[in-house]
This record gives sequence, C-alpha cells and structure tokens, in this order.
Amino acid sequence: MEKEIIDLISKTLEIPSKDITLKTNLISDLELESLDLVDLITAFEKKYNIEILDKDIKNFQTVNDIVQYIKSKNV
Amino acid sequence: MYKLYIEKNTTSKELLKKVLKEKNIESDIIYNEYGKPYLKNNAFYFNISHSSCYTVLVISSKEIGVDIEKITMRDRVIDRICNDEEKKLIKSAEDFTKMWVKKESYVKYLGIGLSYGLENVNTLELNNFIIKKFKDYYIAIYGENLNKMED
Repeated sequence: MEKEIIDLISKTLEIPSKDITLKTNLISDLELESLDLVDLITAFEKKYNIEILDKDIKNFQTVNDIVQYIKSKNV
Repeated sequence: MYKLYIEKNTTSKELLKKVLKEKNIESDIIYNEYGKPYLKNNAFYFNISHSSCYTVLVISSKEIGVDIEKITMRDRVIDRICNDEEKKLIKSAEDFTKMWVKKESYVKYLGIGLSYGLENVNTLELNNFIIKKFKDYYIAIYGENLNKMED
C-alpha cells in the first residue's frame, strides 16, 4: 500500500515518485498548500472509497501519516 | 477598514515583521486553537496567505481572512467543496480559483481554517468578500467593514 500511496501522490501532484518517501513532510519537503492537500485527499477518497474529513487534514504531516490513516480505515 | 500588502519572495514572518516595523508596533504573536495568529497587544487583526512566490497580508480593525491562489482548475475539488448552485457558476479555471479563495478566506476569517469544512461554506449566502485579480492570481478578503485604509 505504501508504494501505491506514493504513486498516487506523485501522479496527483505531478511530483517525481523518487522524491517521495514515507518520511517526506508534505509541507516542508513537498511545499504543499491547502489546495494541494484537499486535492490529494480527494484523490485518496476516490481511490479507496473512504471519507476523509477536512478537520483530519491538519494531522497529515508526513506521507506515513496518510498511510497510517488510510490503513486505519481498514482499506 | 483594511490594508493589503503583497510581496514577492518573502516569508509570512518577514512580511509581518516589516508591517509591524512600518506601524511602529511591537507585539508577541499568539495563536487560537486552530493556529490562527493574532497580535497579543490587539493593535490590529491580520491574516496571511501565500501561493507560489507571493505572500499577501491584510490588516484590519476587525477579524479578517485572506487567501491567494494562482489560477488553476482542480475538477476533483469542485465536487468536494461546492454545492450544486456553486457548481453551476464554475465554467473556467478563473471561476474555480475565485470560488476556492472565497471559501478559504472565509474559514480563515472565522479562525478555524480547513477544519471548518469548505463544503460548509456557502459563498452564495455571504456578501462580505473583496475579490482582486493580481497577475495570474486571485486574492479574496473576507471581513466586516472592508473600506480601504488610506496609505
């Protein structure tokens, strides 16, 4: 699942997947802004058929935070 | 009353520092539970946003929110954040970007940010927006009594 999520981040935000690891920080490393984050979580919602609340976005600091969140949804 | 500052290649911290110096104000910065910053001495309200290389800062005598975004289209996001009436208004990247900055400026005005849920902001029921086009960007300001301050 980790690779799948990294690939989706790469595709959605047009960032080379080689620049993304589990430790990558979404804000300080990838310099994502609010619109990128909302776009990204919407892509995850569609792919995994889950709901991610806007209020949960602030908890996503690293790629691993997203991985753990999606795993917690029993995907 | 509000005043808008737009600067290229600066940080939020540097721009705020510059404005405080210009106004000859010294104050600590405090944050609400959602991270919205305020001056501890309440000299004025302010809000900051950045997009690509631009940073904008607004100051006001009342609560205020601002957002800047480079003109873009994100189809996925429209479905997530817009109601049916709002969707009808989006026919171009410009329309989408204006919608986005309006919603963002409002939740930043409230001091809640994204946690409020952008889909819960009905822009058609809110009137206190100022929308500005700046180069390839749109800026939205939301607040009360938005008359421009004299320079």
